[in-house]
Amino acid sequence: MSHDEHDACACDEYNDLTSRRSFLQTSGGLGGAALFAWAYPEWLPKVSFADSFAGERDVIVSIFLRGGADGLSLCVPFGDPLYYTGRPTIAIPRPDSSSANRAIALDNFFGFPQGMRFLVPAYQAGHLLVVHGAGLTYNTRSHFDAQHFIELGKANDNSVNTGWLGRHLATTSPMKNAASLRAITIADGLAETLKGAPRALPIADPANYGISGSGSTRAERQAWLGLEWGESIDPAKTAASDALNTINMLRNLNVAGYQPANGAVYPNTGLGRGLRNSAALIKADIGVEAVHLDIGGWDTHTQQDPLAGSMNGTMTQLSGALGAFWQDCIASGLTQNVTVVVVSEFGRNVRENGSRGTDHGRGTAMFAMGRGINGGRVLTNNWRSLSQENLADRQDLPVSIDHRDILAEIVQNRLGNANLGVVFPGYVPVIRGVTKPNA
Amino acid sequence: MVKRLLNQPPDPAFDPFKRQPTLSTKGWDSALSRLVRRVTNGVTEEEMKLAHKLGFNGYLNYHLQASKIEDGACQAWVGQNAPLLGSAPEALYSLDQRIPMDQLIASSVYRAAFSKRQLHERLVEFWSDHFNIEYEKVRYLKLGDDRDVIRKHVLGKFPDMLKASAHSPAMLEYLDNTRNRRTTLNENYAREIMELHTVGATGGYSQADVRELARCFTGWTLAGRGNFNFDPNGHDFGEKMVWGQRIPALPASSGVQGKTDADTMIEFLVKHPKTAEYVSFKMLRFFLQYDPSPTQIAAVASVYTKTGGDIPAMMRAVLTPQNLLAATPKYKRPYTFMLGAMRATLVPSQVAKVDQLSFRYLPLLGQAMYQWDPPDGYPDRADYWAGGVLQRWNFATYITTTNSTEARMDANRFWNATTPASNTPDTVVDAIALHLFGGEMPDRLKALVRGYLAATPTMSLTRTREAIALTLSSATYNWL
Repeated sequence: MSHDEHDACACDEYNDLTSRRSFLQTSGGLGGAALFAWAYPEWLPKVSFADSFAGERDVIVSIFLRGGADGLSLCVPFGDPLYYTGRPTIAIPRPDSSSANRAIALDNFFGFPQGMRFLVPAYQAGHLLVVHGAGLTYNTRSHFDAQHFIELGKANDNSVNTGWLGRHLATTSPMKNAASLRAITIADGLAETLKGAPRALPIADPANYGISGSGSTRAERQAWLGLEWGESIDPAKTAASDALNTINMLRNLNVAGYQPANGAVYPNTGLGRGLRNSAALIKADIGVEAVHLDIGGWDTHTQQDPLAGSMNGTMTQLSGALGAFWQDCIASGLTQNVTVVVVSEFGRNVRENGSRGTDHGRGTAMFAMGRGINGGRVLTNNWRSLSQENLADRQDLPVSIDHRDILAEIVQNRLGNANLGVVFPGYVPVIRGVTKPNA
Repeated sequence: MVKRLLNQPPDPAFDPFKRQPTLSTKGWDSALSRLVRRVTNGVTEEEMKLAHKLGFNGYLNYHLQASKIEDGACQAWVGQNAPLLGSAPEALYSLDQRIPMDQLIASSVYRAAFSKRQLHERLVEFWSDHFNIEYEKVRYLKLGDDRDVIRKHVLGKFPDMLKASAHSPAMLEYLDNTRNRRTTLNENYAREIMELHTVGATGGYSQADVRELARCFTGWTLAGRGNFNFDPNGHDFGEKMVWGQRIPALPASSGVQGKTDADTMIEFLVKHPKTAEYVSFKMLRFFLQYDPSPTQIAAVASVYTKTGGDIPAMMRAVLTPQNLLAATPKYKRPYTFMLGAMRATLVPSQVAKVDQLSFRYLPLLGQAMYQWDPPDGYPDRADYWAGGVLQRWNFATYITTTNSTEARMDANRFWNATTPASNTPDTVVDAIALHLFGGEMPDRLKALVRGYLAATPTMSLTRTREAIALTLSSATYNWL
């Protein structure tokens, strides 16, 4: 919702947003349990909850690049001449070229295109890890299957129908017991990654989340809705109770007035606004411990143009927003630690197609960012030249690192959850040294 | 048969509300009431009366023969407000592209809300997702697709719709087949016609099959401002082997004959048993319940096979009394929710336009029309939509309180302004039951609404509006 929609909504309470301070003063009375007791889903295995991980667990920000992001443009293997052979019109020039579009060297083999330049400071600070040749080991080039399987954390298994991050949250105690909201998707719908999470909601704009209509009957109407929805069925029943609790909580937070730290300026894009709101919620310290965001525009079958056109624009949006988030929440240091993970469903063909684009491939680049990430490097596994015999189906960067290796290590070491068998059922991750021990 | 089912209480084993013993199991849970909820975009007094008059089969037949339903008022509105819908690409390409889009979306919303051909409009929604096309990518071409692919075949035969879609300029552009040429293969359409339009992702084809099918489709492109054209110069005349089907090589001089490669494969796909299954599964999921059983899928698929994909015949197999009585509830998508609220509260002849509803509120509710970017269509899953309750509650407040001419609630349905003293909690609850549920409103919800109305010492129209908004906001109203 943009600001000009307030009048139409008659959302008078949007005008009486108060500071976080007043929320903290009254939070005893506004705790999520005031209206409803939530029930854990039936599938939740019995686990022993630690008293608290507070201070030792990171908040996780999960970002999905929807559409199959071309890893060979996100992080360019300029050291391999075959990259240039396969892409006569859409390759990023070598760092030693004189082109304005030349790659920015990350090491002596890989580089960022100019579109990713806003992430160079995070990389140089050692907070950003690039994982190359990562992805889903299950061979599918369907967007929907691949996204679905990555979000669920297991491919082709009908018994797994919740998201990996949802299961993580369901098997850990809340960072704050009274939290009415543990996880959000910054969107109109809950991402599958978070499916199954207790107290998770889609909130497109946390600054404008309130019930409209007359202020004099608002409490009465909310109570009525709570009663009526209280006997509905899931998933809507739980979502309604979470929504009612969250309305009360967010009414008392001044998300719109959030001031980023450290001079960070978020770009005015969907992801920029989403990460700015995420930072506000994280710093409000209200118990939000997982945020999911999507950014689309990666399905570059035509006119991909990672130098100056479409993909350059999408990468600039990504790196601009993430760079600002790094500056705001990670570079400066926080009382609350944050880890960011960025995944896409697959990469794209090594060779460009006839429309200056690339068709669906396999391995791609993923990213992890945080003070607890062992970054400042491009992690690969048995990286080989892009000659046909080394490629998956003779056309694609193979998946040499299962995306779950990266996520599982973060779940265990940064999110303090040892239940990896529940978060990634049937998978034994390879621990690749993605995280640092707690400082 | 129908009468017996109506008089018989539903089998408790199939009762989706069985954990809620306070809910009425009368009317609301009958096969007929469930049918009306599924074939319309919102139950009205008129629709429920019609259903009871015609009986189960008569009512379903009535809607499946949509062209016989008199719909002049709606057609007149569309003719006046969306004159570009019948235009050829040549008349559209040079316009400000917001104009054709606005006419398409506004007329779609108006028709879905107020056409008497309600099942026809629900099928338009269903097939528009099945053959999803994002407006922004194809712009004015979407108008032709809506007219010549979706609406033309919506109650016809699936193979005809698929063929029309394969030749649709909008689809060829949306899934990049316009760029799929002999020397520069583009697999996008070849993949999605199998994965999304026919056999489904688990159909059994391989990546090699996708490439070979893409070769069959080389040269299927556009001419002029957006008319189908087969370009022999772009076609790969070599031999192809798609999914065990050998497509023999043709001499390069064969010209337009090369188009038959893909025509042959379309014929193969529409006859494939996995297509029968996948299309049946999707129809059952949209119209009946999220997780249809293998038996239900097989029953509809066998109708597909017997009738050559006749959509009305398949709908009869989806919407059987048995299926309806056994159906688990479906959570309304935002579009259905908004349309239901419109039908319950607005007088069509007084709705001059639907711009605010179409362009502001549908996006706020999460389902902006023709703006789903990936080709799989808006999700049809409760967990995707469940979180958006607040937006629904606020929309309910908007539509019951706004003074905008396009959405001004017909208060006379609920409130006697001539004799205000005659309004009581009971009269208002009865009116809400009639206009939001066709009279078949669950008892528990009735009691809760009555309680809200009775909580103040005097009745007022303001509180009545709130009670209507709360009813639209209720869980009961939001589940089919």
